[in-house]
Amino acid sequence: MNDQWTDRLSEYVDGELGAGERSALEAHLSTCADCRATLVELRNVVTRAKALEDRPPRTDLWPGVAQRIGAGKVVPLAPRRRVSFSVPQLVAASLALVLISGGGVWLALQPRQPVDAGRAGVTPAVWTGRTDAAIAELQDALSRNESRLDTSTVRVVRENLALMNVAIAQARAALAADPGNTYLNLHLADTMRRKLELLRRVNAIASAQS
Amino acid sequence: MLTTLAAAVLISLAPLQGETDTTIAVPAGASLSVNNFGGAIVVHAWTQNRVKVHAEHGSRGSIEASLVGSTVTLKSSSRHGAPSVVDFDVTVPQDMALTLSGTYTEITVDGVRGPISAETVDGEVNVRGGSGIITLHSIQGSVTLADATGRIEVNSVNEDVELSNVSGQIKAETTNGEVRLTGIKSASVEATTINGDVLYEGTITDGGTYVLNSHNGDITVSVPEGANVTLSLATANGEIDPSFALPFTGTPGKHRYTFKLGTGSARMEAESFQGDIELRRPAELRERMQHKDKDKNRNHWEN
Repeated sequence: MNDQWTDRLSEYVDGELGAGERSALEAHLSTCADCRATLVELRNVVTRAKALEDRPPRTDLWPGVAQRIGAGKVVPLAPRRRVSFSVPQLVAASLALVLISGGGVWLALQPRQPVDAGRAGVTPAVWTGRTDAAIAELQDALSRNESRLDTSTVRVVRENLALMNVAIAQARAALAADPGNTYLNLHLADTMRRKLELLRRVNAIASAQS
Repeated sequence: MLTTLAAAVLISLAPLQGETDTTIAVPAGASLSVNNFGGAIVVHAWTQNRVKVHAEHGSRGSIEASLVGSTVTLKSSSRHGAPSVVDFDVTVPQDMALTLSGTYTEITVDGVRGPISAETVDGEVNVRGGSGIITLHSIQGSVTLADATGRIEVNSVNEDVELSNVSGQIKAETTNGEVRLTGIKSASVEATTINGDVLYEGTITDGGTYVLNSHNGDITVSVPEGANVTLSLATANGEIDPSFALPFTGTPGKHRYTFKLGTGSARMEAESFQGDIELRRPAELRERMQHKDKDKNRNHWEN
C-alpha cells in the first residue's frame, strides 16, 4: 500500500489528475489490489462524509459581527470544503465514522493539505484525540453501570480492557518512532476501534440489566 | 391488534415446578426466540412442524411459552424476583430461525439449517449447522461453529473462537484467545484477536479478501499450491516464516512485505504486531493440527 500511487488516490477521487496521470493510475489500479482497496475505502469515507448533516449554528452570530465591523454588503460564501485525505487522515476519518455511528462525535473535515505535509503533519496524537475522548466517555459510563454486572464479568472486562491498553500503548510507542508507517497507523486505529466496540457492547449489556 | 392478540396462544403462564414438557404446532417458516437468564439452552432439529420443549427449573422458577404469529417465544421467569436457573432442551423444525439469548447461559445448537442468533455473557456457545445470517456472541465463553454456511459473525472476548467446515462471508473475533479457522470455503474472511494466535486453513479464492490480524500472537496461514494471491504481510516485532519460496514483488516497507503468487487476484493481509507470520502448505498444516489434537487428547485422558 506504500507505492507511488497511494498518495495520488485522493486527487484521483477529486478528479484533479491530468489525463495522462489518470490513465496511468487507472492502469496501475488494474494490477494493484492494495490501491483498489484503498480507493474503495476512500470513496466510502467521502460518501459518508458528504451525507453528514450540515447543521446550522443554534445562534446566528453573523448579524452581531456584521454590525461591529460595519459590513452591510453581501459576503461571498467561502468555497465548499473539499473532501480529500492522506492515509493518516483516512485512518482518522474511519475512526470518526465509527464514533459518529455511536452518536458521540461528528466528523470535522480537514482542509486539504499537500500530501507529504499531511503525512508528516497528522500525528497519531492528533488523529487519536477524538477517539481517546470517546473512550474516556464510555469508560465513565461503564464505571457508573458496572455494578449491574456480575463481579466476574466486571473482572474479565477490566482484564481485556487492560490488554487493549497495553496493545494501544505499544502501537503508540512504535508509531511515535515511525509516524508515517501505514501498518502501525492502521493497527493502532483498529485496536482503538475494538476497544470502543467492547466498551459500547458492555455498556449496552449493563444497561439492559435492570 | 385484536388479530395479533387472537393469534397469541399462551401455552403456559402458571408457575411450574421441577420439569415442564410441552409441544407446540408451528406453521412453516416459524421462528423461535428463547431468553433464559441462567442455565442452558440446547436446541436440536427434527423433521416435524412442531416445537417440543423440555425445561428443568427450580421450585421458584417458571416457564412462559407462547406462539404469536409465527414466532414461538420461550422465557424463564421467577415468582420471587430473583432470576431462576432453567435448562431448556428444545427440538425444532430443521429450517427454523433461532434467536437465543441469556446472561449466565450455555447455548448449544445441533443440526438446525436456518439462520441463528445466539448471545450470552457468561457461557459457551457451540453450534453445528445453520445457514443464512449466523451471529454468535459470548463475553466470557468460547464460541464454536461447525458445518454452517452464510454470512457469519462470531465473537468472544475472553476465550477462543473456532470455526470448522464453514463457508460464506466470515468475521471471527476475540480479544483474549485464539481464532482458529479450519476447512473454510470463503472469499471473504476477517479474523482478529488482540492476545492469541490466528490460524487459517481453507480456500484462497480468486478475487477474495482475507484479513488475519493479531497484536500478540502468531498468524498461521495455509497457502495452497497454485493460489493466486497477493500476500501483504506485516509484523512490527516478529518474523515472516514461509515454508516455501516467495517471489518478492512489492516495494519493501519497514514493517510490511508484499508477495504476489500466481496472478495475485486474491488479497490476503496477515499482520501481527508481536508475533510471527507463518505460511504453510495445507498438508503441513493438517499434519501439525493432527499432532496438536493428539496432544490435546492425551492431556485430556491423563488429566
